[in-house]
Amino acid sequence: MIRVNPEARKRLLDVLGGNRVSFCYQCGACVGDCPSARFHESFNPREIMLAALMGGLDDLLAEDSPIWKCSNCYNCYERCPQDVRPVEVIIALKNLAREDGQTPGDVAAVHDMIVKTGRSAPMLSSLNRKRESMGLPPLSPINVEELQAILQPDEEGS
Amino acid sequence: MRAAFFPGCLIPIKYPQMEVAIRRTLPPLGIEIVDLEGFTCCPDPIFFQATDKIGWLTIAARNLCVAEEAGLEIFTICSGCTGTLSEAHQMLAEDEALRARVNRRLARIGKTYRGTTRVRHIVAYIRDQVGLDVIRESVKRPLDGVKVALHYGCHLLKPSNIMKVDDPDEPRILHQLIKAIGAEPVEHQERFLCCGKACVDPDLPMEMTRTVLRSVRDTGADCMGMICPTCFSSFDTGQLVIARKTGEKLEVPPVYYFQLLGLAQGLTPDEVGLSKHRIKPKALLEKVATAGA
Repeated sequence: MIRVNPEARKRLLDVLGGNRVSFCYQCGACVGDCPSARFHESFNPREIMLAALMGGLDDLLAEDSPIWKCSNCYNCYERCPQDVRPVEVIIALKNLAREDGQTPGDVAAVHDMIVKTGRSAPMLSSLNRKRESMGLPPLSPINVEELQAILQPDEEGS
Repeated sequence: MRAAFFPGCLIPIKYPQMEVAIRRTLPPLGIEIVDLEGFTCCPDPIFFQATDKIGWLTIAARNLCVAEEAGLEIFTICSGCTGTLSEAHQMLAEDEALRARVNRRLARIGKTYRGTTRVRHIVAYIRDQVGLDVIRESVKRPLDGVKVALHYGCHLLKPSNIMKVDDPDEPRILHQLIKAIGAEPVEHQERFLCCGKACVDPDLPMEMTRTVLRSVRDTGADCMGMICPTCFSSFDTGQLVIARKTGEKLEVPPVYYFQLLGLAQGLTPDEVGLSKHRIKPKALLEKVATAGA
């Protein structure tokens, strides 16, 4: 018997980009051009959309969830006749995984580095010397306090 | 033509030779590069967006503000930065409530995004703002006989309703830019396959990268031409990983388009940083040497 978990589904609908899953009619247009589906039999964007429609967040947000195999190529976004934007639904699911403390270490590390330094790649202290030797200007300093200020949660009631 | 240069992270930190090529090749096209203070990571469209989507949008909006305050449009040199900033610009333009929410956060640092700037990847900028004729006129040493297997990557073109650069199923922009410098564009079988960098999986990235590289190798092209540093890292250092894990040596040299443009404008291979690549473009360098300076 098919069971829908409306509360879990509501949780997804409240995340930016998550609500479009409601338009999915399971045609499978997202599968044909999906590179992750081509190279990994356990990855199928249509099945992920179906599970999301059912509110099956327990599996989708589990540590071994298939959502992390998405290549973010946007082919499904291009192909979907319903404008579901499956990749965006998957990104919304990944944001929920963060709430549940299920973000893979490699992903969290990039996020944390940007929060701490304002850059996604580690900058060695010798970098500006190397850049100078190549005729490049030094990288401009980043005001990390500003970044951290705008990353604080929204104010109550806003 | 003046535009704000958005450097991003990967190129200025990991591949500064590509930034050298950008800074050397744009002035001959009549572009004045404006370096603004205050840009940060775009931020990363994959892992940062996957962790904190509203934070991703807010940091992108802050970057857009920096250009907006200077009254300039932005050119990017990385497909990932292009994607983040273009998507953020579009989302904030079409959703008033979202823009208000992001602006409440930006108010904490005295900023507001009004939506008046514009973002283009530098290849779209030079095609549309400079024009192919001016690019052709900047060439001093046409790359005659050089065959370049094109790899567009994903985020220059998709999502196409936001990027508005070209038809993602039949793109021509890199074909046109390669022809403008005298080289011959080559289409390889797997030209639409993602490099796989964003997949969090022990095997997927290598499988995708290897499939693309084999397809390029089979064309017999002199090098692979691309415009994204993330694709580049998959295909450059990625080849070393493939060789170490599987023993397969592919020897397919990836090259950033502006390095090729630099060679055509008369710069030396060293000046455009080709000596810094893990996989050296030997066939390309031989043909350039024969063409003479």
